[in-house]
Amino acid sequence: MPVFALVDCNNFYASCEKLFDPKLKGTPVVVLSNNDGCVVARSAEVKALGIPMGVPWFQIREQARRHGIVAFSSNYALYADMSNRVVEVLSGFTSNIEVYSIDESFLEVSGFSNWPGGLAGYGEEIRQRIADWLGLAVCVGIAPTKTLAKLANHCAKKGLAATAGVCDFTTMAPEMLTCLLGRIEVGEVWGVGRKISARLDAMGIKTVRELRDMNAETIRASFSVVLERTVRELRGVSCLALEELVPDRQQIMSSRSFGTLVYDLADLEEAVASYIAKGAVKLRTQDSLAGAVQVYIRTNIFKPEVPQYQRGVTVPLPEASADTRVLTAWALKVLRRIYRPGFGYHKAGVMLLNLVPRTSRQFALFDAQGSAMDGRSERLMGVLDSINGRYGRGVLRLAAEGVDRSWQMRRGNLSPGYTTTWAGLPRVRAN
Amino acid sequence: MYRQTQTALQPLPDPPKQYLPLDGVKVSAGFPSPAADYEDARLDINEYLVRNPVSTFFFPVQGDSMQGAEIFDGDILVVDRSVRPSHGHIVIAFVNGERLVKRLYRRAGKVALVAEHSAYPPLPIVDGIDLEIWGVVVGKFKRMV
Repeated sequence: MPVFALVDCNNFYASCEKLFDPKLKGTPVVVLSNNDGCVVARSAEVKALGIPMGVPWFQIREQARRHGIVAFSSNYALYADMSNRVVEVLSGFTSNIEVYSIDESFLEVSGFSNWPGGLAGYGEEIRQRIADWLGLAVCVGIAPTKTLAKLANHCAKKGLAATAGVCDFTTMAPEMLTCLLGRIEVGEVWGVGRKISARLDAMGIKTVRELRDMNAETIRASFSVVLERTVRELRGVSCLALEELVPDRQQIMSSRSFGTLVYDLADLEEAVASYIAKGAVKLRTQDSLAGAVQVYIRTNIFKPEVPQYQRGVTVPLPEASADTRVLTAWALKVLRRIYRPGFGYHKAGVMLLNLVPRTSRQFALFDAQGSAMDGRSERLMGVLDSINGRYGRGVLRLAAEGVDRSWQMRRGNLSPGYTTTWAGLPRVRAN
Repeated sequence: MYRQTQTALQPLPDPPKQYLPLDGVKVSAGFPSPAADYEDARLDINEYLVRNPVSTFFFPVQGDSMQGAEIFDGDILVVDRSVRPSHGHIVIAFVNGERLVKRLYRRAGKVALVAEHSAYPPLPIVDGIDLEIWGVVVGKFKRMV
């Protein structure tokens, strides 16, 4: 019988911002999405003010000023580094880990039930070490299925369980658990989205307990096998295993909204070339080649009063490739074909499709240069990746990606790279 | 331009171990090198300064109050959060919204943060002072040229 522990960082982005800045202690902090659009993370103080997740920043700006809320742009480099550190600390506890998201990991912990204090004691140890070593607070939910572990984590976070920060369903008396699940809304269940919970609500199913006690056949008939599986998991039957290896991506997407509207083809070309460069790195990291490239551009669909245009076109490549230069050349060809002047473009994106492993590719029938070119391309891309890996992303790039990048996203309140750049290291006073 | 180059050539805060690429090495058919068996012994400064990379962070120093402990303006401190702070350790402390480096004094129920310079008096931690010991300083480094 497996036992899962879900380790989830509390207010992860906001906690990373607070970690290095003592002035933020006790201060409400929000982190905003790309282009400083919406609130994507809230510190405990902000949650206490009742500001919801996902609210557009401009809507709460006045309220923020009144309450002294400090807003940060997303410092992805910082969050990624701290996230990797959390996973590294967790790897010291067990090697059976599924990194589920930037701030959540599942651990398989059935082997640790003899730990002092049982599995809850083990969870407490995890909590303590991450607090000591990284200064981050996490909650741990322990249960016989992943779906229940998610709910146990929810209980740990909301203080519905006995111990602070850790909740172990495996040692809880069944009637206690039933009582607890009767107090949690069905929408909290992993995989039950807004649509499904509205339909369940209409059927009179409002709590997790009521969903658990539904007839599985009925669920399958009126919803799906996926929800039926969820119901089984709620009953303690493990249907979802730990996914330790992330399968290679079948397609790679790279897209962004622009900081300001873009009118010129030249600016769009730079943006598209830089997205291709990013995508191509991912492609080479998983040792694949792309067989097709898609490019799309669109105006701001949220502003119906301005002229609208959007278009996306896919081209198959004569020969699958992972060479940034080849992919860029094709992408720009497509872009020039779909670009219409006179529109204010809000977003562009590229997609690398028909991915194949590098080892199983087919050569083109009419190969002008011959495969002699091939080893050279691979070596050049290898050099490109290793230089950028060492000195920072984009240090060495194609001229097509541009120099001043006026289209780049807005990140007005970006905190320093406290752990990722020399210039951003936090200074300490000795005076 | 020179500065640019200089900034670029620094060890990463948490670098992958560097291995010599062997596949590009031409092998000749003469006498084998007597040193061949003793390769990959090059020293790594990270290994010396950083004992637990996952819990290690860097903090540059501003000021002269710790010069008695041989910590000078511009030094970069190596701070390891996995070391439990105790009496006598040099620590990073967050005090009333400031990041400070001081020696931790903790004896007979009294806590104070002590500078290593006669011009700076000790800072006793009394009620109303908000103190967080952030981490223990385990080393320092500086580039000269």
